[in-house]
Amino acid sequence: MHGSGLLSSSPAASRPIAVSVPVLSHSPPSHSAAFPEPPTPAPSPGPFSSGFFHSQVSQSPAPTEDPYSASLANLARDFSAIARSQREALLAALLDACDTSTLSFVLAYVSPLLKKDPFRVLPNEICLRILSHIDDPKALARAAQVSRRWAAVVSDDITWKALCERLHYKKPSSEREYGSTQGQLSPPFVHTPAYADPAAFLLPQNSPNVTTTISVSSPPTSSTPLTAMPISVTSTTTHNGELSMMESTYIPVVSSNIRPRSFRTLFKQRYMVDSAWLTGGLVTARHVTTDQGVVTCLHLTRKYVVVALDNSRIHVFTSDGRLIHTLTGHVMGVWAIMPWDDTLVSGGCDRDVRVWDLKTGRCKMVLHGHTSTVRCLKMSDSRTAISGSRDASLRVWDIETGTCKHVLLGHQASVRCLEVYDDICVSGSYDTTAKVWSISRGVLLHTLAGHFSQIYALAFDGVKIATGSLDTSVRIWSAESGQCLAVLQGHTSLVGQLQMLGDTLVTGSSDGSTRVWDLKRMACVHRLAAHDNSVTTLQFDEHRIVTGGSDGRVKVWNVKTGHHIRDLPCTYEAVWRIAFEDEKVVVLASRQNRTHMEVISFAPRMQDWEL
Amino acid sequence: MVKLTSSDGESFDVEKDVAERSILIKNMIEDVGDDSTEIPIPNVTANVLKKVLEWCEHHKGDPAPANEDDTDARKKSTDIDEWDQKFMQVDQEMLFEIILAANYLDIKALLEVGCKTVANMIKGKTPEEIRRTFNIQNDFTPEEEAQIRRENEWAEDR
Repeated sequence: MHGSGLLSSSPAASRPIAVSVPVLSHSPPSHSAAFPEPPTPAPSPGPFSSGFFHSQVSQSPAPTEDPYSASLANLARDFSAIARSQREALLAALLDACDTSTLSFVLAYVSPLLKKDPFRVLPNEICLRILSHIDDPKALARAAQVSRRWAAVVSDDITWKALCERLHYKKPSSEREYGSTQGQLSPPFVHTPAYADPAAFLLPQNSPNVTTTISVSSPPTSSTPLTAMPISVTSTTTHNGELSMMESTYIPVVSSNIRPRSFRTLFKQRYMVDSAWLTGGLVTARHVTTDQGVVTCLHLTRKYVVVALDNSRIHVFTSDGRLIHTLTGHVMGVWAIMPWDDTLVSGGCDRDVRVWDLKTGRCKMVLHGHTSTVRCLKMSDSRTAISGSRDASLRVWDIETGTCKHVLLGHQASVRCLEVYDDICVSGSYDTTAKVWSISRGVLLHTLAGHFSQIYALAFDGVKIATGSLDTSVRIWSAESGQCLAVLQGHTSLVGQLQMLGDTLVTGSSDGSTRVWDLKRMACVHRLAAHDNSVTTLQFDEHRIVTGGSDGRVKVWNVKTGHHIRDLPCTYEAVWRIAFEDEKVVVLASRQNRTHMEVISFAPRMQDWEL
Repeated sequence: MVKLTSSDGESFDVEKDVAERSILIKNMIEDVGDDSTEIPIPNVTANVLKKVLEWCEHHKGDPAPANEDDTDARKKSTDIDEWDQKFMQVDQEMLFEIILAANYLDIKALLEVGCKTVANMIKGKTPEEIRRTFNIQNDFTPEEEAQIRRENEWAEDR
């Protein structure tokens, strides 16, 4: 009687220390009958049913005043002393005797006991192996919040290094070349400091002819949602007696000068930038000229943003978009520029090639020689510039001595585009051919004949040459042999934009579409219905394609899938040029007959960046 | 046939190619040069060893595992095949014991399946849900918890 009464309180008894629990009232009499006749066969019921417990209980020392507590303690002790098969049989018998609500109590009691913290049971290298199977940063970030131990495991940089590698997030030390600006290296993590300090708005001392007014004002009316508290700057720049007005707005809240100290920080930063590319972004600089000029060129370098217009002006901005110089000197439209470190070479309708010092904004040299508009310009090293002209010639210049080293003759019509790699220059012409030249020797190596109409664009990576033509086709050539390797058909109008990166070629056409080509298979892999009218500008990197069109839109695409990611929420009448790097897009476009220059930043804002 | 003895003294007669799913056992057999000797597995209890051998039996015909640090191939196969999923439907203690045994016995594929199973138990859960899944005490102070939540907010944005 004694024993069976105890056993009816089995859930409490499974907790060996809970001997003082008053169990009397929890003993329904019906349970006393259940034990002697277990409904299921137990493997070895002998010791229990043959008075095993009674005999043990009688020997237990120092019984307390509460016989139930004492018996419970004994029971727990006895229970742990018997063999496992016997314990299992006993528990089975007890559980069989339980009603549903007691069973659910047992379940709720037992199930947490069966759970274990894997990061406490398993050694570190296995914990990290587990995390290596989680490629969702959200899951990792949540795991870090579970406990101190979990935070420590998740903070191991090996997990984040692997994740960075998988998403092609670049190491802090890596420097990459701009897709469109050869020779200019972009260090993704070295930026000029954000201009949180108002003193930074003061223009350089070596621009004596510049007056600047700085005023913190309410935001100007704007059609874009990408606004925050701006600071307005109106600068009046006077150069050589010419006046150029520019209304400028800056938002000094973005930090892009954070140096990641770990892969985790790197991942976090790149991820935030990626997220901003998907849905965010902030206009951090906006310049509106008071006149309407057609933008002919846009170049980003690690230090500068340089913009050329058909109204003879060249605007020079810091990499984060502060206007520092307006270069005046060309008489008519500027059609080609090439920045190299602190030097800029420019050319245009006045047939001159000018060399500028970007630090001071002064013109260092004017090179005469071409007899018609200079249409394209590149540099092959810090002192060698190559210009192509409507006079059908190319000229190789030494910009330190100011001498013309070679005149490259052979084209029958205007030289429209040129690209340089090491000592090799490739020129594309309205005479329908492209020509491969040695820059140092000034000699023609190959003539690439095959297009039926004018060549408007080309790309050259040292091995392959891609040409885009008014005949709607794109041709791939070997620079070594001059042979045509492939004719890529598909566009239905002029192919005026192209960029090549490894085996990927992206082309933009006046038919409004953008095509992604795989040059291993020489086949079109994606056709993007990009713009209603012409694709006027495009750039891509290993993550995304950004296109601008005469429909006034700027669109972002996934370069791998070809999917449209978004339209940047800025509306213009026409987009002249775009250029982007990891954390920003620079857009040159017209709106209300004014030329706008906008820097859209995807860098994390200071307030979002807590380390 | 190979005879394996668990840490708690139970013996298992196993086909050689089943046992050799374990690189550790394979190397031991090679070192001894005699199939008939008994191989002690001192770190694995009988109930876990039995489970591990069941897995080895099912996978004995699998092609040789791909190069160890072929991370791409490893990462792409985040899902687990059906038989393995069923096989891994055990209590957590057993799951972790299997992982430890696979690690000790050097059975890469089983270790991967075990780690993936745990990873899948973590994915898609809030911190509190993870705590409940593994019965983990939240040992952060409220200040620390607020701090670590702020530090990880960036991942919640998309």
